[in-house]
Amino acid sequence: MNDEHPVQNQDSVRGPDGDFTTFMRKYQDMVFTTAARLVRNDAQAEDIAQDVFIKAHEHFEMLSSSPAAGGWLKTVATNLSINHLQRYRNRWRFFSELGGRSDSEGEDAPEVEFAAPDTFFEQVDSDERLAWVEEALAKLPDHQRVPLVLYHFEDIPYDEIARRLGVSLAKVKTDILRARAALAKILSRGGDSLASFSS
Amino acid sequence: MSTQDTEKLEASIHRVLRSLPDRRAPASLEARVLAELSRRAALPWWRKSYAYWPLAVRVGFLAGSGLAAALIVSGIFVLVRSSGATALAGDVAQRFSWLILARELLAAAGDRIRALVGAIPPLWIYGAVGAVALCYATLAAIGAATYRTLTFARQNP
Repeated sequence: MNDEHPVQNQDSVRGPDGDFTTFMRKYQDMVFTTAARLVRNDAQAEDIAQDVFIKAHEHFEMLSSSPAAGGWLKTVATNLSINHLQRYRNRWRFFSELGGRSDSEGEDAPEVEFAAPDTFFEQVDSDERLAWVEEALAKLPDHQRVPLVLYHFEDIPYDEIARRLGVSLAKVKTDILRARAALAKILSRGGDSLASFSS
Repeated sequence: MSTQDTEKLEASIHRVLRSLPDRRAPASLEARVLAELSRRAALPWWRKSYAYWPLAVRVGFLAGSGLAAALIVSGIFVLVRSSGATALAGDVAQRFSWLILARELLAAAGDRIRALVGAIPPLWIYGAVGAVALCYATLAAIGAATYRTLTFARQNP
């Protein structure tokens, strides 16, 4: 949660708006993180988070007393982020996918070399290690990062991811496998590999 | 990679990713949301969607719309059944007689174009279509190559 909040006048803190401010403070990090991990752009993630809370305000009567408010916000943030990515993707998909090897469908699973998975997250609790993982995640190409985030963070099954992204099931599975392999490589080599991964 | 390795990798990555804490939202987010809510709240009711209109206005709008629809339907009914309807139809047809002339002109122009195209040797047409397709493919290839080059340069500075 943020420690520094914009100064509110007393009127906005009392009453329903005050409740909404408290509600927003409770969930804003989660909503922003959900959007930022999907769109990989903090400014766009903030725009999406703003839209999410505007929608939440319209349904605040229902959300304020609902134990599922967090889930509702996460789902809306995910849907708005996917819509945002789809708009951008449709605009550029012709040029970016023309002859592109990375987006080909139904390829065989890649050969992956990584250290024993039991060992590479031994020190994962350290702040530095978490920063590596976050940075490595951000550096994955969209077509790998988005399904990986949807699968591991949002618990959406493969077929649902394929349907929502408008791609084949085989492509989703291959992209997620490659994304995991790329992350595993970084984690098994430590922070030094982050630079080589991005090149 | 064996199935066992794949499952192990999936479980390990899942654990690592789930251990990531939420990122801190920008401090400006809260102020932006509240400002947008204030702006929307300050809008007059007639600039908001129907659901936000006052109840009396919504009821009045529905009643007015129903009355207008009834008036239009009954007006048309009366007009069609009146004795002056035939005269009115003739008058309207006379006013729009230029449409018939325009249709005849278009048909004549179409006949001329068909005759002209029929006189062109098929080889010329195929050649022109081929040239246009070639130009389109060349432009698409240049555009794609430029985009991919620029994207690659941006991702690998």
